[in-house]
Amino acid sequence: MSAISMAEGRRFVGRELTREPLGKVGVWWFLASEIMVFGGLMGAYILSRIAAGGWAAERAHVNTTIAVINTLVLLTSSLSVVEAHGAAEADRRQRARRMLLCTVLLGCTFLGIKSFEYSRELAHGLTPSSGLFWSFYYTMTGLHGLHVLVGVIINFTLYIGLGRYWEALHHRLEYAGLYWHFVDVVWIFLFPLLYLA
Amino acid sequence: MDTAKPPVGYVTIWVWLVLLVGVGLAILVAPFSKVLSVVLIFAVATLKAALVLRHYMHVRAQPLMIYAMICVPVVLAIALTLVLLPDIAFRP
Repeated sequence: MSAISMAEGRRFVGRELTREPLGKVGVWWFLASEIMVFGGLMGAYILSRIAAGGWAAERAHVNTTIAVINTLVLLTSSLSVVEAHGAAEADRRQRARRMLLCTVLLGCTFLGIKSFEYSRELAHGLTPSSGLFWSFYYTMTGLHGLHVLVGVIINFTLYIGLGRYWEALHHRLEYAGLYWHFVDVVWIFLFPLLYLA
Repeated sequence: MDTAKPPVGYVTIWVWLVLLVGVGLAILVAPFSKVLSVVLIFAVATLKAALVLRHYMHVRAQPLMIYAMICVPVVLAIALTLVLLPDIAFRP
């Protein structure tokens, strides 16, 4: 068998296994690698917390009310992005774009609230070098915040692009949505880890 | 006659997610032991994540290959923590 036909064969086997567009499979691969990034960080946090005896004093300084508001903001943004995807599937273009813009605004709201929370903590002298808990806190929420920022940029770029190139880009709403939901799922676990438990 | 159940609406799932946030907060103030509180809080978080995965990310409709891609790192991340746990928890 020639090299080309072997490559063709391999590609065929891959498509047979997933039956999904390669872009979508690529997004899932990316999310799988992100699970290891956040999973490893969360695992290290849990182990360090057990070793340190709980970090009850440090945890008392985080603001649960702000975190609850941010949780609700992110959950609502997940709703808006899935509604955008649903509207795109039904070819309701204006609604899809409106819902995507909602997601962008909610993502910005999340980042704004998080910035306010950071400024409050930093004003109280709680910096990343204040202790192991704060190192983990800023690393995990900072990395998550970066992911939210990237999601906001992706969604906003898509929002702009969909206005002119709907046919070429509308399927990417699903990929952007998958990424956004993953960011939401990460927060669903960060919230109890850092603020509740 | 079509007897298939209609899919649960996205807004309904959002309401459930918000309610579960409330349940997580209620556990915090309930008179449970520390260990039970932690277990319940993470059970609620897992339920919320499952709702997002199933109804918003449509994981149920994905092929087996996608399941495998997602499950392997989840299992590895949990195993990594569990394998290191005795060394941390039972250190003299």
